[in-house]
Amino acid sequence: MTPTAPELLGGCVVALATPPRPEEMGPFMAGTVGVAALLDMLAAQECATGAATRVWENAALRALLTEAAGAYDAKLDGALASAGKVGDGDYSLAALDTANAELRRRLIRLHEAVEAAIDTGLDRRILALYRDMAARRELQLPPMPG
Amino acid sequence: MTLPEALAAYLSAFWNAPVTVENVSRIPGGASRETYSFDAVREGGERRGLILRRDPVGSLIDTDRATEFLAYQSFQDLAPVPEPVVLEEGVTVLERPFFIMGRVDGGKASSPFAYKPYDPHAEAVGRSLFQILGRIARTDPAGLPIATAFAAPPLDACWRRELDYWEGVILRDERHPQPIARAALRRLRANPPPPAQKLSVVHGDYRSGNFLHDGQGRILAILDWEMAHLGDPLEDLAWCLDPLWGHFDEDRAAGTLPRAEAIAAWEGESGLIADPAALAWWSLFNSVKGQAIWTTSGKTFVEAGCRDLVLGFSGTYPARRHDKIIADQLERLVATENWA
Repeated sequence: MTPTAPELLGGCVVALATPPRPEEMGPFMAGTVGVAALLDMLAAQECATGAATRVWENAALRALLTEAAGAYDAKLDGALASAGKVGDGDYSLAALDTANAELRRRLIRLHEAVEAAIDTGLDRRILALYRDMAARRELQLPPMPG
Repeated sequence: MTLPEALAAYLSAFWNAPVTVENVSRIPGGASRETYSFDAVREGGERRGLILRRDPVGSLIDTDRATEFLAYQSFQDLAPVPEPVVLEEGVTVLERPFFIMGRVDGGKASSPFAYKPYDPHAEAVGRSLFQILGRIARTDPAGLPIATAFAAPPLDACWRRELDYWEGVILRDERHPQPIARAALRRLRANPPPPAQKLSVVHGDYRSGNFLHDGQGRILAILDWEMAHLGDPLEDLAWCLDPLWGHFDEDRAAGTLPRAEAIAAWEGESGLIADPAALAWWSLFNSVKGQAIWTTSGKTFVEAGCRDLVLGFSGTYPARRHDKIIADQLERLVATENWA
């Protein structure tokens, strides 16, 4: 898991509130302020879209896992059909991440089984899902001078 | 004792002559070492610009200061690198292990996330960047100081050694399940590359941002060799071509040359062939290696109290971007390259 928004912003507070040593007053402090500004921007994006991204991903994972249960649940000890019961809790980012971790663990097991079975169709669907999952979680940087 | 006083005391003893230290300034960026620029002034006024690279307090990043120092010794006459001065691995007046190297003045290292950092000299920078890498690839590591630090892997085992290592890093450090990286690891193992054409010194982090350029198209120094090792030279080429280091320009490698011209520059200087299938394997591998580095960065950032903002950034933005880069490669390799 990438650092959470509170962890990133807490780091910015610590870094900016700590008095620099004399040798850190020039370019190093300027660099620290610049990185803090970037982290603020990344944290803002996460606060704006992080919950919606996780709700979408968890729903997509539940749908895929339960759909694959008929063919693979016997090999995976019932981990697929029961994925539908993995709830999103109070929809806080922490609760959504807890559910997401559980669903991702089951997806890893399913994909291993799909590869072993040379199930090309489901393999391609999982790879396409990876592409969509990663695209929705990407963060954006502003154009910065060199 | 202040840092300037400690540096003066150490260098006076090292050179057996009185030294004063001026203009000590910490350089931003980099999470594995504290880096300082300073001037050492000897009796008579002889002034020398130097760089101190010191281990940080409670370092959790696994890099080797000796490797970087040996690399600078190895490539003094073969590639533009700083002059190594002294490697100190014990506890001295400077409190933690360090090395000192000559400072290369008149250049800057551009941020790998800057927009068009090399324009209007991007093509000249790119040609030099990939030609120097080709020269490193062409160099026989036997007899170089850095070769004493590593066992030479068999040509057909270079890929496995690297894959085993970085897979171990991901499994050790991940704080959240990573199905995309895990799928890539399985696919890399199931579709191995051909044996290396030759054994080379692999820089390990050869990319935009890790060299000094003069703003006029000339590369002054290749830096940050701390992940150097012996291996397949395609590893460095693929890392430098990774889209993460492309400055948001899909048409230019490392924000410099068109990809085909970059590869041709490397091939021309190295005398080696960048076989597309082998390069595809090393490209996916390097994106996974990047994800392993970001995984460790994020874990270290949190476990060390969220103090190092460079680690916080490294564990966030490139981690998300590399997941997308890996997913895109996986889908393409399975769909069009018949990867099992």
